[in-house]
Amino acid sequence: MTTHSLSAGALHADRIAKSFGGLKVFHDVSFTVPAGGLLGVIGPNGAGKTTMINIFSGRLGLTSGQVMLGGTRIDGRSTFEIAMMGLVRSFQHTAIFNGHSVETNLLSALRFSRRDRSVLERLSPLLDQFGLIDNWQRNAEVMPYGLQKMLGLTMALATQPNMLLLDEPAAGLEKSERANIDTYVKFAREEFGCGILLVEHDMEIIKRLCPSVIVLDGGRLIAEGPPTDVLSQPHVINAYLGGSDEEDSDVTH
Amino acid sequence: MNNRVPKSVPAEIRASLFSGHDWIALAIVSLTFVIPFTSTNPQVLSQTNLILIAATAALGVYIMQRLDLMSFAVPSFMAIGGYTVALLSMKLQLTDVFVLAAAAFLMPALCAIPLGALILRLKGVYFVLVTFVLTEIVQLLLFEAGPITGGSNGLVGMPAVKIFGMELWDNPHVLLTTCGLAFFSFIITSVFTRWFRSEFAAIETNDVLAESLGLAAWKYKAMAFSVAAGVSGLAGFALVNMLLTAHPSSFAPMSSVNYITYTIVGGKASILGTLIGALLLVSATDYFALSGEMSPGLFGLLIIVVTMVARGGVVGVVSGLLYRLAGQSPSLKNGDHDLGGNGEKGQ
Repeated sequence: MTTHSLSAGALHADRIAKSFGGLKVFHDVSFTVPAGGLLGVIGPNGAGKTTMINIFSGRLGLTSGQVMLGGTRIDGRSTFEIAMMGLVRSFQHTAIFNGHSVETNLLSALRFSRRDRSVLERLSPLLDQFGLIDNWQRNAEVMPYGLQKMLGLTMALATQPNMLLLDEPAAGLEKSERANIDTYVKFAREEFGCGILLVEHDMEIIKRLCPSVIVLDGGRLIAEGPPTDVLSQPHVINAYLGGSDEEDSDVTH
Repeated sequence: MNNRVPKSVPAEIRASLFSGHDWIALAIVSLTFVIPFTSTNPQVLSQTNLILIAATAALGVYIMQRLDLMSFAVPSFMAIGGYTVALLSMKLQLTDVFVLAAAAFLMPALCAIPLGALILRLKGVYFVLVTFVLTEIVQLLLFEAGPITGGSNGLVGMPAVKIFGMELWDNPHVLLTTCGLAFFSFIITSVFTRWFRSEFAAIETNDVLAESLGLAAWKYKAMAFSVAAGVSGLAGFALVNMLLTAHPSSFAPMSSVNYITYTIVGGKASILGTLIGALLLVSATDYFALSGEMSPGLFGLLIIVVTMVARGGVVGVVSGLLYRLAGQSPSLKNGDHDLGGNGEKGQ
């Protein structure tokens, strides 16, 4: 890991809560992603995972609590401001500049984050492995979904972030393409020293990559720890497979 | 493998400032300077005047289209520019063309800053609606603020503008003033939109992604709205200078449909499209003697047809044909270099 990454700040959520009117998306959630560390976030659909990423990246405000990046409070700041502070997100679906080439997409990421082209040299092993160099001048919009997804992830990394928020990076990828996510995460940590918050539904990826995970359900943090331990806990299994409370209740009636 | 990427990366992210279409548009506008010195035909002078004013006003639409925003606010800012000039010349006897041009640009541009802070959060149909309402409000203010604007009578009897102390009073001189204002507007628009083309193209394509990569989209939207207002103000100056009157009817809200039509029918991807659109449609309006009531309806129909069958407008269709004749296929979006690439595909 580089000295740059060692000095980068941790991401700390302190008793954060978010409501839309009377709907509480999540409540009283606290956790820390260490500088250069990796934390997995799992939970069933509607658990508030993407909303959390939207809040960290500045697209949504908090109802209460605070988010710190290093020693700086970042909640309430604008998206571009947070990105310039080194916290960059990826998107669940493909996020590229349609109608433009792979090269142009990557150059735009460098330009907007005020990075120089030397970053592309550092990224070249990834670009090569993902097949992006072979499609360098191709219109990114007409590339296969998997390539577009990897381009979007590589653009986020081209900004040289201190902390990456990955929102279901494996979603929509074929099984054979999912190894690219492993490569990407390892590369981001080793070459760029990024801390990573990884939201993912693919439990195999979570088990392979994450030393620690948190589980969100119904807007609350219901478990945290190593993936194998957490995924064997009954209330986590219930959260994914359906509430046993309801079934029990039905049986008793 | 490592050496393949750097070889592909251009030495400079910015390509040449102006595209081929920009040069052609600037050349056409430059050529109009010849007309005041070579023609005394009132029809030619008047028609050229109208085309240049229409094209200049449509630049306000073109600039906002760079951000995928459809602005109906052009007549508002034209009115602010036009009335500013009329008031300065009639009340303060300021007639120097450079001073008046600066005022006609700056006053709407400054007004656009607080307005932009309010409405630039909106997108799509909401932005359209609010800019249209803004034009209606400005129209109402022009009628109601009688002591300043002259109300329904407008401001009549403007003195002729002067350049280096020389009065520009007759038809050729009025056209010369319009040519100067149009050329200045096209230069400002070209430099502004091309200098920030990467940022504008990113915001137009995917503003959420652009912001997540560190681009302060609001800053570019605010600048664009302000410059679009300034350029519209210059068109307002040219219009009141031609009519020697500042009247609310010159800035009717429905005229915004015309400016949008010029931009879309000509081709919204370049300033050449705006110019060609104004040239063709102002000429067509004159040729077919369309009445004021009919033209918005026909222009609306034209927008629908062009949007359905030729989204690139006249310039886009002609460029596409030229590409095919040259055996090339413009597979990438018009002007891929807009986002910082090195391909010069034209627009």
